[in-house]
Amino acid sequence: MLVGGYFGERGQVAGPGGGPAMLAGAPAVSYSVKRVDGVVDSLDNYRGHVVLVNLWATWCTPCRDEMPALENVYERERTRGLIVLGIDQGESATVAGAFARHVGVHYPILLDEEQRYGRAYAAIGLPTSLVVDRSGHIVRGIDGQLTLAQMRDAVEPALR
Amino acid sequence: MTRSVALVAAVGLAVAVFAQDFFPAWPGFHTWQYAGAAAILMIAVAGYVGAASKGKDGERGYRLLLAMGGALVIGMTGLASGLLGADTLTIARAPGTVVPLPDLDAAAFFPNADAPSISQGDAEILLRRRDGSTLSVPAHGRRFVGSFALEVHPQTAAFIDARDERGDHLTVTQPTGTAFLSPVLLFPSSVQIQGQTLPADTFATPAVHRRVQAMYFSPTAGASTRVHQMVGTRAAILFAVDDESGHLVNGGLGVAADGSEALIGGIQLRPAIGSYPALVISAVPAPLPLVIGGIGLLAGLVWAFAWPRAQTPSELASALPRAT
Repeated sequence: MLVGGYFGERGQVAGPGGGPAMLAGAPAVSYSVKRVDGVVDSLDNYRGHVVLVNLWATWCTPCRDEMPALENVYERERTRGLIVLGIDQGESATVAGAFARHVGVHYPILLDEEQRYGRAYAAIGLPTSLVVDRSGHIVRGIDGQLTLAQMRDAVEPALR
Repeated sequence: MTRSVALVAAVGLAVAVFAQDFFPAWPGFHTWQYAGAAAILMIAVAGYVGAASKGKDGERGYRLLLAMGGALVIGMTGLASGLLGADTLTIARAPGTVVPLPDLDAAAFFPNADAPSISQGDAEILLRRRDGSTLSVPAHGRRFVGSFALEVHPQTAAFIDARDERGDHLTVTQPTGTAFLSPVLLFPSSVQIQGQTLPADTFATPAVHRRVQAMYFSPTAGASTRVHQMVGTRAAILFAVDDESGHLVNGGLGVAADGSEALIGGIQLRPAIGSYPALVISAVPAPLPLVIGGIGLLAGLVWAFAWPRAQTPSELASALPRAT
């Protein structure tokens, strides 16, 4: 895991070709961007929680299909310290916000118009999910749609 | 081998090897012609060393052995880096990515970029080594790490801001680029238009099911083209917007100049054109033997030509005034 050894205090993570799975063990990058409600927020603000980061976009069918399960795991595990953080890639607040309201999600959704999270997390497609532990390190990086069971399996070790 | 020929060979050898540090990316250093020329110069120096060590060039010849030894060390160091060193490698990556560099025991951090930073084109690449130390390589700058030279060469890039007809921001993806979710085009390919070779790239806007080809026109290229709408004084991009089956959509061909917005094929496109750094890694001579050889060469030349020689008893005697 050569790349994992080089993520010092700057916290930038990524690398071509390997996808998000190669990021396990690295500190999680954080950028300040707006949420759909207009408040500036970032991944760093959730330090101390286990964060299931979900990179998504409204045009991405698997992302849309995945959202009810994300909402479900968020509602079930939030009392244990889990935060689901949706990070929309490249879309406006009106588009992403309207869709999130339509689906009925309650977890925070960031708007990454410049797609910086997507590049830093080496996304090779959408959706891309990452589990970040309470200390801000990436536990797992996963490419593709997850089922509710897969989400719970992914976050459970970090929640213990 | 005469002294003068050996001196010319020694100095020529040093110049040829030290040139690797000044022009590290020149591919000629890794050719057989360069190695052959260096070998010939080394043979000339070695020939003189053989003769001088037998006393055939007197005391000055003995003193020059230090300089010639230094030249041979320099030559061997340069020959080794030229023959055994890796060919020059150019690494162009999307903003925000990290590239492991195992040979340097380090990783290169390509900086994040937005429209202003692409326009300014002054981003620098950060190198983080395993021991935690960092080294920044500025645009047009050069840094040395062991027997490698690192240079940053700005390359043409464009930050693409894409919106739908209502003005809502669109995700830009590059399924075939170095980063899937990057709105920064690096133009890795080229196309021929009206006899001109133009940098080209592609991206997609999946929300509106469009694939877009982008062709870069520098101000010079734009001024000499007959492409409709081309602005000759500013860099511009010619966009061709296709549907998902690869057919050009209605109104899908158009030009957007640097910083200007254009509605092309139902997408509002605003490119910020400038540059983004690529990292160029070249093998250079190992610094320690190069320094040792250089000191030997200079010290030997000074010793041989600028240092007063100790006079022999016969010379001293001849220098004394004779009694009459």
